[in-house]
Order: sequence, then structure tokens, then C-alpha cells
Amino acid sequence: MKSTLSRMICHFLVIAMAMLPFQSGQASMIGTDQVISSASAQADRNTVSSFLSRSETVSQLQSLGLDAQSAADRVAAMTDDEVRTLAGKVSALPAGGDGGLVLLILVVFFIWYFAFRR
Amino acid sequence: MIAAALYRSTRLTAGALLLMAALGGCASLVPQTMALREAWPAGVPARVEFADVPFFPQQDYQCGPAALATALVHAGVKITPDELVEQVYLPARQGSLQVEMLAAPRRYSLVSYQLAPRFDDLLRELAAGNPVIVLQDIGQGFTVKWHYAVVVGYDYAAGELYLRSGETRRLAVPFTVLEYTWKKSNYWAMVVMPPGRISATAAESAYLPAIAAMERVGNARATLSAYAAFLDRWPDNAGASIGLANQYHALGELKDAEAVLRRAAERHPGSVAVLNNLAQALSDQGRNAEALTFIERAAQPDSPFAAAVRETRALILQRLAKER
Repeated sequence: MKSTLSRMICHFLVIAMAMLPFQSGQASMIGTDQVISSASAQADRNTVSSFLSRSETVSQLQSLGLDAQSAADRVAAMTDDEVRTLAGKVSALPAGGDGGLVLLILVVFFIWYFAFRR
Repeated sequence: MIAAALYRSTRLTAGALLLMAALGGCASLVPQTMALREAWPAGVPARVEFADVPFFPQQDYQCGPAALATALVHAGVKITPDELVEQVYLPARQGSLQVEMLAAPRRYSLVSYQLAPRFDDLLRELAAGNPVIVLQDIGQGFTVKWHYAVVVGYDYAAGELYLRSGETRRLAVPFTVLEYTWKKSNYWAMVVMPPGRISATAAESAYLPAIAAMERVGNARATLSAYAAFLDRWPDNAGASIGLANQYHALGELKDAEAVLRRAAERHPGSVAVLNNLAQALSDQGRNAEALTFIERAAQPDSPFAAAVRETRALILQRLAKER
């Protein structure tokens, strides 16, 4: 329990640090992300909640077998909205992985398929 | 004997039930295929197939990396599924999440675009030369088995689509079967686009966030060309102008940033973000007096960017004071 918490705090800090130079490097140019998401308002609150969801998602990915670096890299490539859809649900969302053949195609489709072909 | 008879009668009953379902329920089982049969989308050829789309046979549970590598190589990135395992495969889930499939191409400076859940859109993308990654449930209703495949063509007359799927290089699948397996994922489909091209079914409101998402991790030049392509298509979009100008600004090409923002300020004279960024770009070129006129116009206390505008204004005033 304690290690999960400290890990989350660690991730939060790592991500916060990573964002830091980016934000100050842009001086006062307003970022594209901000402009696009400003319609949904409360930009500041969104920033905080996205920090939290990001660190939470990094921890979750780690618990599913990734090392810290690749978990952080993966989350970095996601948008805030994407992170929000993942946060807390990594274990429940569809994960495509099965083999490629529909071996047992239902009879109904054969019937219908030939109807479709005319 | 009895067992065999029982088996036969069960099979007959099942067959009869399926037939009834077929006659009564087609429209609800595969509604989009039915609609296509009535009305084929205008301007979409009856047959398309890209034989040159590469194929990577799936290993273990790694259809995600295989499907993604197929699309990335087609978009011009040299990569193998093995290199993508690290980025989209989740060992404990034995699979890949949709969000990660969308996120990974951005790291190669490509734009991932999730299609609207329509068969028409899938066909339009194929007609435009873009292979489409789809998420199917191939468990046939008994179990759930999520699977990614890449659609590389179709033939209306034959009623089939052609997929790079699993260990099969060219899997022919009837429209009905594809829809039935694809419907479970709410028709989830994506394309991977080189930055300078816009996908065939792109919507203005959805494609801009797709580019902005690539901006997070993609190369600045590639992001720049993506915003430029977007503006060619939708010249009135203020968000894309800001995106393009920000890339120029980040690359130190301040004159170009200024030119883009001036054009945007003419079209959107009230846009606080455009005015703020134009003032910043001017100030960074040492033209602080000019910058001040624009930042004054951006001073709107109820704008979500009011804080950024105050900062820019303070910076400009500070620089002006130093000049004197």
C-alpha cells in the first residue's frame, strides 16, 4: 500500500518535472492543446486532474507488466482525454490480442452472405 | 444410437433457429451492410485492393503490434512488430488497448485518426489508399476475443473485404461477417496518416485534436507540415493557425510565426489566443511597441487565457522599459 502510494507520488513528480521545461520554454505562447480544450473550460483544474490520471495510469501499466520507463513513455504519447478514458480502467477495457481467423463462422452468415451476393 | 439421434435433432433445431434468425434479424444483426446493399456510397469504386501493403504474421497474442507495423510501414516508417511490442503490448492483458494503438504512431510523427463508426467511412479511406485497422470481436458470441486486423481492400461484387489478419496474409471476409465481428467494438477503426496528408473522412473538429496529440511527442517539422496541410483544407481554423505558428515559434522561425498569426488575426479579430501569440511573436523579434497594440486588444478579463495575456503584457512592458 505504502509502495503504491509512493510510486504514484514519484510518477506525479516525474511527469510534473518533465512538463516543466516544456511549459516555460514556450514563454507566453498559448499552446494548441489549451486552445482546443478551452471550449471545455476550467483549464487549470483539467491540468491538475490530468497530472493525477497520468501518474495513476503509469502505475497501472506498470502493474500489468511494463517497466517504469516504457509506461511513462506510453502515457506521454496520450492526450488528456485518452488518459482519462484509461485511468482506473486499464484492466477492464478491450485488449486486442487473439488469433486472426474466425474459424467457426455462423451458418446464418453463410446463408445471408449468399443472399447478399445474389 | 440414441445419443446420435439426439445430437442430430439438436443440430436440426439449432439450424432452424439460425435460419429464423437469418430471415428475421439480418437488418438488426448487420444494419450497415444492409444499408450498403441499398445504397453504395457515391464516388467509391466497386473494387479496391492494395496488394503492396506489407504483412507481418502475428506472434503469440501480438496482433496489435503486427497490425500497427502494417499501417506504419505503409505510411513510410521502417519498423517491425517486435519494436512496437514495447509500445503497445500489455503482457498481463495479453493484448493491446485501443488508446495505445492510437498513441504509438505519434511517436513516429504520424497522425492517428479514429474513424467515425461507419462502414462508408472505412470504404472511403480504402478508396483513398489508406489501410484501416479495425478491432473485432472474433469470439462469435460465445466468448469475447478481441482482435486487430488491417483491412486492405474490398470487392463489392464478391461481397468481400480483404484483411491482413493474424497469420493470414490475405483473408477474404464477407461484409456481413466483418460487420458482425466489428460491431462489438462499436465499429472501432483507425488510420495512420503521414503528417502532410489528411485522411479521406477527416472531420475538422476531430482531426485537429489528432494533430495536436501528435504535437506532444512528434517531431516539430512533421507537426508543422500537419498543421499546414490542415490549414490548406480548412483555412478558417484558428486553432490550426495557432498550432502552425507555435511550431514556427518553437523552431525559432519568428517571421513565419508572425505571418501565420497576422493572417489568423485578420480572420478572427476577437481571438484572444491569436492576439496574445501574435504579440509574443512580435515581442520576441524586438518589436515591442507593435506587440503592445495587439496585447491591449487581447485584454478580456473573462477569457480563459486572461492569465496568459497578463503575463505576456507584463513581459512586453518589461522589455519596453529595458529599451529606454
